[in-house]
Amino acid sequence: MKVKPIMSGVTDSTDPQQLLGRCIAPHRWWLRGALLLALFSVVLLIIQSWLLATLFHHWLQLWQGTEAARYQSGVLFGLIICLVLRPLLQAGREWLSRQASQRARIALRSQLLEQLERLGPARRHLGSDGALGTQVLEQVDALDGYISRYRVQSLLAVMVPCLVAAVVAFYSPLSAGLMLATAPLVPLFMVLVGRAAASASQQQFSALARMGGRFLDLVRGMATLTRMGATAQAEDSVADASEAYRTRTMRVLKLAFLSSAVLEFFAALAIALVALYLGLGLLGLLPWAKGEVPVPYQGALFILLLAPEFYAPLRQLGADYHARAEATGAMLSLSPLLEAGTWQPQGQQPSAKVRVEPLHLACHELAVCGEGGRLRLAPLSLMLAAGERLLIQGESGVGKSSFLEALLGFSAYQGSVMVNGCELSQWPGDVWRCQLGYLGQQPPVLGGSIAENLRLACPDKTDTELIEALEWVGLWPILVRGDGLFTRLGERGQGLSGGQLQRLGLAQLLLRDAALWLFDEPTAHLDPDSAWQLNTLIGRLSRGRSVIIVSHESVGLEWVEHRRVLTSGRGIPCCG
Amino acid sequence: MLRLGKVSETRDTSIRLRDLLLLRGGGWLLAFLLGAVTLLSVVGLLAISGWFITAAAVAGTATAAAIGFDYFRPAALIRLCAIVRTAGRYGERLASHDTALGLLKDLRCRLFRALGKKPLQSAVSTAHYRAAKAMHRLITDIDHLDQVVLRALLPWGWSGLMVAAVMGGLYWLNSTLLWAALPGLLIAWLGLPLLAVWRGIRQARRDAEFAERRRVALLDPLAAITSLVLWGRWPDIRQRVKGEDINFLQQQERQFSLASLTTAMQQVALGSSIIGVLWQAEVLMHTGALTVPILLAAVLAILALGEILAPLASSFLALGASLAARDRLNALINADESRPSPPVTWSGAVPLTWQLEACQLTARLPGALTGPQDIHLSLKSGEILCLQGPSGCGKSTLLQVLAGELAPLSGHYWLNGQPPEHWPLLKTIGYLPQQWDVFDMSLAENLRLGDEGASDDTLWGVLNDMALGTWARGLPQGLNTPLGEYGAAVSGGQARRIALGRVLLTRRPILLLDEPLAGLDTITRHHVVDSLVRRTQKGILVISSHVPLVLPEHRTHYLPMLEEGRPGVSPLTWRHQKEACADLRARAMK
Repeated sequence: MKVKPIMSGVTDSTDPQQLLGRCIAPHRWWLRGALLLALFSVVLLIIQSWLLATLFHHWLQLWQGTEAARYQSGVLFGLIICLVLRPLLQAGREWLSRQASQRARIALRSQLLEQLERLGPARRHLGSDGALGTQVLEQVDALDGYISRYRVQSLLAVMVPCLVAAVVAFYSPLSAGLMLATAPLVPLFMVLVGRAAASASQQQFSALARMGGRFLDLVRGMATLTRMGATAQAEDSVADASEAYRTRTMRVLKLAFLSSAVLEFFAALAIALVALYLGLGLLGLLPWAKGEVPVPYQGALFILLLAPEFYAPLRQLGADYHARAEATGAMLSLSPLLEAGTWQPQGQQPSAKVRVEPLHLACHELAVCGEGGRLRLAPLSLMLAAGERLLIQGESGVGKSSFLEALLGFSAYQGSVMVNGCELSQWPGDVWRCQLGYLGQQPPVLGGSIAENLRLACPDKTDTELIEALEWVGLWPILVRGDGLFTRLGERGQGLSGGQLQRLGLAQLLLRDAALWLFDEPTAHLDPDSAWQLNTLIGRLSRGRSVIIVSHESVGLEWVEHRRVLTSGRGIPCCG
Repeated sequence: MLRLGKVSETRDTSIRLRDLLLLRGGGWLLAFLLGAVTLLSVVGLLAISGWFITAAAVAGTATAAAIGFDYFRPAALIRLCAIVRTAGRYGERLASHDTALGLLKDLRCRLFRALGKKPLQSAVSTAHYRAAKAMHRLITDIDHLDQVVLRALLPWGWSGLMVAAVMGGLYWLNSTLLWAALPGLLIAWLGLPLLAVWRGIRQARRDAEFAERRRVALLDPLAAITSLVLWGRWPDIRQRVKGEDINFLQQQERQFSLASLTTAMQQVALGSSIIGVLWQAEVLMHTGALTVPILLAAVLAILALGEILAPLASSFLALGASLAARDRLNALINADESRPSPPVTWSGAVPLTWQLEACQLTARLPGALTGPQDIHLSLKSGEILCLQGPSGCGKSTLLQVLAGELAPLSGHYWLNGQPPEHWPLLKTIGYLPQQWDVFDMSLAENLRLGDEGASDDTLWGVLNDMALGTWARGLPQGLNTPLGEYGAAVSGGQARRIALGRVLLTRRPILLLDEPLAGLDTITRHHVVDSLVRRTQKGILVISSHVPLVLPEHRTHYLPMLEEGRPGVSPLTWRHQKEACADLRARAMK
């Protein structure tokens, strides 16, 4: 029977922008609300400017005696409404944007955690646990600026200038033209600024990493430096590295700031030009319209008040531009994890209670393919009767771990794996997992007490049963000297040695009472003595069970019934 | 003999907020002045423009006056403001960033020096992976410190200046205007931001704590994911991570909404100032005490303050983050200095012969369940002690105690009849722990950390003794070969021997070596052991090893240790040790 590989590991490199869009889509209504509030706030600003212009126009005429005094309470009342409402609208816009960003990030993070669950041990192909953790936490948070600021701002940067220019054109087409003429310069420079900023931040980041690396390298070795009495030598080195970083960063920043200064200059210049045009126009001194007033005072003041607002969204967008680069970069690094193909046994859930039974395993031409059709495990045939124990060896990269991944049910395979006469892919996933015990290089030990850790494997065991398991693995005499079952372990089992932790992992296995035990290099991080002890212990405890143990050494493993050395499948055509 | 009193240096090495300003005072002042000029021209550009067109409207309609209207000066001022605003901002950003980078450099050096002065045992108490995490934290914490100046102190300074300038202007126009604007200005400038600081700073300081909780909730289970999925426990973990994530996001949301609301209220308060000014202006203009162009300039100036005051609303975020970073760094610098550090300078002569004695020595690493118990030792110059036993029995802990880096729980330990604190350990004990470091420098630089003035010949001598001579001569760059980060360019066995050679270069009379020969093949091991034995003929050598070593019988004692940390029953040595201990105790009583 041939099973088509569903999990390919091949990722079509999806455009990060597309991924971003997909991840924001369910929350777009929040962003639309934010956009609406922002536009409403701009309309209020236009009204506010018009009211101010009207008020001052009236006062000017009053002052010159051309108009009688009118009580301006209506105008003042309108101004009060604008001045109060606008900040509140702005706060509302920010709140809506933050909601969108939070919801999108929580959803994306859940998606990643589920993906990790489906990947299980196969996650190692996507990076170290530390790197994956950074992706799930920091990289997802790096989308915040894009969702909560850039997305809405990029729309505003088009809409607001158009709106302002339209209103201005009503009073003075020339001023609107002047603004619109400088407007295209802004996006142009923004792209330049954005590109400069992106490359600057990238360079700065690598320089920072290098400097931080030097500092970290020396601080980490502080104990050694102190023992050698060489801290003064090292301090000079820190100072040199920091100074070099400073010089390099400043060189980059000079360029990056210059481009944003040019942008700023155009904004300032345009305001100045509009002001001069309007002022000289009011004086009737414009060369092409001597003695005429092209824009009367009320309109002139209105335009002047709006002029900064024409450029404000563009400048803000320029400031937020790096958020886009940041989000794109984050999405790019997330996409392999997000899009990795996963596989699990497809069988239907049985209605009866899951039973653990002795397993008879037969692999025929079992092969595993990785990304790009690369062969991770060359076709392998073997038989393991119930209660037999098998040691698998072979040089690194030959597919030992991939073999275990396939048996664990996390990786698609070719060929067949018959378990008790039923193809592995036809087993119900949950039932299959109940048959298995697994112990890798690091035991599944979390911060907390010994009892909590043991009950992680099996929640309903009594204290007596836990103690019994600990006695089996020889940990109880050591723990009695601490707080017994309530001995607390730090993160990753701080407080016990590596060998003791692996024995705790064995106790967890004993409590689960699975039919097939799989070991992946359980002694990789141990010294030869502890490795021998652990291997002997596994031999003693696993009598009567099916065991497959992958190990690069055979000391203490004399108890296995079978031994198999894997060789790389050179000469065998690739699959896929 | 001279014993130097412990100088209380913790005060000097702690980081205080005002240091951040004072360390680079000149640079910050320049950045502040440039920023102030920029902001003045931002306000000026709007105010003068407003005044100009209003004045022009007045002059233009009264045609006779138009001829006498001086429009050159305001026009020039407007252009000047536009240019100064651009150039000033550019200069300010360069100056502030340059200063911030300089400050970070100062802080790094200072912190490094402070860490170097710490007695070693506190460095030991953190397990290695933990330390790596803490170290990473250290770097981000330092980078947070400049935020307090960039995002809190400078904006406060600028806004104070600008508010004062606007208030001065209003007073000069008419004191009634100032009184009308004052409440709103004060609330926007001081009241609301200070309220935000008061409400928000405690939250902001706890940010890192929430982030850390979320990180731990994910990273620990992630390492165990395969088993957790098999056991059906991952959904629980997912829920827990999601819970911590929501906690973290809510914690941030509380701060952001506080900042956002404060900004909104600031704008409303400024609006009330404007309304107040307009209200009063109507009356003043009737009496002729105020002209329209000037009034417009004043209103526009107040409007422009909005942008300048806005950063104050979120300054508590930067302040909180910096304060928390400062506290963590200071805690790191000042952590557990319960034991006096050994004297650094030493004017007395270092004795030629040494005697190392220990009696009923029991010790534990913090958090460890086992450790050496009831250890008796008596060694004199020329002797070798070989520690044997399974891993976890406390050999390394015992060596740490002997090196003076860990205080024993009970028992006594003497060097030449004196407690170890008495001696300048830096000249006495050469200790090579299991976690040694090879730095991202050249081979020669790494070795010279042991002896700064060592000649190339000396270095080659050590390399030959460590069986590294042939390898090093084959390197294209020889002694100048960079070893890479974590010593990535050399194998583990080579790095270990480089670290061992470095200890030998210090020529200290007592050498404590923890598994120096792990991972070496038999021939190399013999070669290195022979060199070690030869080089320590006049000193004391304590060595721990899993593998059996060939050591000269007449010089060597063996101390087998059992798993629970007790000395193994080896009748001969046991009796010998008992006698020695009784003897020692009798001497100590005297």
